[in-house]
Amino acid sequence: MQSSTIRTAPSHFARALQCTSPGLIRCPRPCIVAKWLQSRNLTTATPAAQEAIPLRKHLKDEAKRKKADAKRDGNTASTKSGADPRLEKWELTVGIEIHAELNTACKLVSSAPAEVLETDNGGMANSRVAMFDAALPGTQPQFQVATLLPALRAAIAFGCEVQRKSGWDRKHYFHWDQPNGYQITQYYQPFAKDGCLVLDASDGVPALDMQGADRLRIGIKQIQMEQDTAKTTNVGSSTYHVDLNRAGVPLIEIITLPQIHSPQTAAAVVRKIQAVLKSVDSCVIGMELGGLRADVNVSVRERGTSGVGSSYSGVSGLGQRTEIKNLSSFKAVEDAIIAERDRQITVLEAGGVIEGETRGWTLGATETTRLRGKEGEVDYRYMPDADLPPLVIGQDLVKHLTSTLPTLPDQLQQDLQDEYNLSLKDAKTLIDLDNGDRLDFFLRTVHSVTAELSISSQAQIGKMVGNWVLHELGGLLTTHQRSWDDVRITADELRDILVCLHQKRITTRVAKQLLADLFQREPAPAARPCVEQLIETGNLRLRPLSEEEYRDLARRIMDESPEMVKAVREKGQKGKVMWFVGQMVRQGEEGTVEPEQARATIERLMGG
Amino acid sequence: MLPRSVPKCASGFTRSLPARVHARPFTTSPPRRDAIERDANGHIDIEKLLSNPSWSVTSLLPSKDHQPPTSGVSSKQLHHLLRLSALPPPKNAAEEAQMLSTLAAQLHFVKEIQKVDTAGMEPLRSLRDETAQGEREAELGMEALKGVLEQEEIRGTHHRRIRRKPGGRDGEECEKWDPLGTAGRRMGRYFVVEGEKAG
Repeated sequence: MQSSTIRTAPSHFARALQCTSPGLIRCPRPCIVAKWLQSRNLTTATPAAQEAIPLRKHLKDEAKRKKADAKRDGNTASTKSGADPRLEKWELTVGIEIHAELNTACKLVSSAPAEVLETDNGGMANSRVAMFDAALPGTQPQFQVATLLPALRAAIAFGCEVQRKSGWDRKHYFHWDQPNGYQITQYYQPFAKDGCLVLDASDGVPALDMQGADRLRIGIKQIQMEQDTAKTTNVGSSTYHVDLNRAGVPLIEIITLPQIHSPQTAAAVVRKIQAVLKSVDSCVIGMELGGLRADVNVSVRERGTSGVGSSYSGVSGLGQRTEIKNLSSFKAVEDAIIAERDRQITVLEAGGVIEGETRGWTLGATETTRLRGKEGEVDYRYMPDADLPPLVIGQDLVKHLTSTLPTLPDQLQQDLQDEYNLSLKDAKTLIDLDNGDRLDFFLRTVHSVTAELSISSQAQIGKMVGNWVLHELGGLLTTHQRSWDDVRITADELRDILVCLHQKRITTRVAKQLLADLFQREPAPAARPCVEQLIETGNLRLRPLSEEEYRDLARRIMDESPEMVKAVREKGQKGKVMWFVGQMVRQGEEGTVEPEQARATIERLMGG
Repeated sequence: MLPRSVPKCASGFTRSLPARVHARPFTTSPPRRDAIERDANGHIDIEKLLSNPSWSVTSLLPSKDHQPPTSGVSSKQLHHLLRLSALPPPKNAAEEAQMLSTLAAQLHFVKEIQKVDTAGMEPLRSLRDETAQGEREAELGMEALKGVLEQEEIRGTHHRRIRRKPGGRDGEECEKWDPLGTAGRRMGRYFVVEGEKAG
């Protein structure tokens, strides 16, 4: 009897099952049944009329209802979790401090190398340590002038005012990763102040933050140079290994004003800063490799109020802020800010008070953890460093660097869109790929194609060249698993192919074949015939077919596959026309069939 | 210590002092208006002038006849300061009392020093050449950075990017010494430190 298969369905329901035809018996999930019973306010003493409704219909209705419920619940769940109504009441404010390693050969105030060179054993731990880095008594710091260059470029890229005179200060605290007992930084007089960072929606800023404007400006309070600490690794329960190679490596600290109001904007700011620093060769190691770290300061306040009246560097009316230290990925920045914001709102809505403390974040956590409270606050006892003279920066150097600064990513993106008619996505991709080498290749190709074809505006062919450089070449790179450095195609060869294509001397298919051919040849000039030669030897020139030749070819293929013909003619599957086009191209001689014409012919023949 | 305004003196000593010395008010007490007596020729009797000291270095320390000085520093603050300076805490109450009284004497000294009027003066950070010429020599401009700029190359023809050539360290003497030679404890190429239990 069927009731043995239905373990928990009520007995009267088993009777309902018996009413249905054997082939349709299914084991209903008890929950649906129970829910249905409850929702219908049914008791065990159901009137007989209910049992007559077919089970399948009931189950189907139930499933539909459950789906509708889930959808409704899903929407309210997201609002319940704090996304919408809480944020209508509470406003988030974030300020970011970024520490980025400068791209220099030597450390900030000692003569040890800052980078690993393959020649010596620089890769070993504790092999790039100067006596001052190890804090031997009697050693003195000496400012290494070379570190000024990338720092200045960073300051200029963010539009900061470079201060002629700036100082060096000591920030005292004891830790085994700081042998001297203090860090040399620029607390009282940083070398650059008052810059700004400009973002727009394509950088990942949510529309709410843009507030209808084109651009969002985040102020940068200051940029200062400072030392990095040594690296410690935890081995065993309480033992640490210390590697002083990193001690004293120059960093710049970029401090933004608290003008960021959403976690996505914060992540976008960090991304943008990293991109700008990379483009001017200031800081070339990214966040994922540990070359850039972010500390964020998070506070919330009720919209329309002025929080607890805190202020920071001219931005006032803020709530009490907490600091989250050492975030090392973009996702961590976003997630940590969301978690901290939610925690602060929860505390404030419960009537509590936020303490100004330092918190930490680990990947995969749901809440920030407290590292240090107010009572554990460190007194850094800042004082000017007596060993280092003030830093005096010459105006001639600043002028020179400003005039020779590489184009920043924003400007590049705009130029690519305006002058070469690339889409935003393509422009962004091209800028990021292969450290800019792909973009250089693209520009060379466009210029030479334009010159060859004597076209006045580059916008006409910009898009086509962009497609070939990004997608065609990119496809070949992935298929053959090569990196851009191994690419043997020269800009001239690509120019020749594209010129032939543009002049309709070859078809697109043939052009792609030529590209693939040249891609695989050896780089030696003997092995690389020019494009013209290849066309000649392969008989690849477009010899356009006449109308009749198209019709003949089309009819031949249609005769070979009558089912496909039927599919298109009778079942109306228009997409299958392209199958015919493909067959024509394949069966026709290489370089003769043009897809557009083939398609037109097929459609005429089909349409009748 | 010279009073605020020092008239010409027979020895011509005061004229040879730099102007800044004249500008600094050195007295801790207001200058005595009646102090400077001149004879008929406008000369000062130096002996008489210097016979009565107006200040003594003993004022920098608390006077011995008073009670042992209390500075208002609590025991909790003392421990906080010792912790900041990584100094060991006192072993017993007697040692703590001794530390507190020493600290009180030191604070008295500091307060006396702070009575000097230093309005509008930048603290001296170190002895340097603060003349305009000195600043010009210390300026880092194109000349100073020339060698560094030569260590860079331009990459690309149309999209020009700056790249620092790796390894251009200006021939800095590679200090050949063994950093780990100073290590109290080591493991391979690392310094070993015992910390608090992690987690």
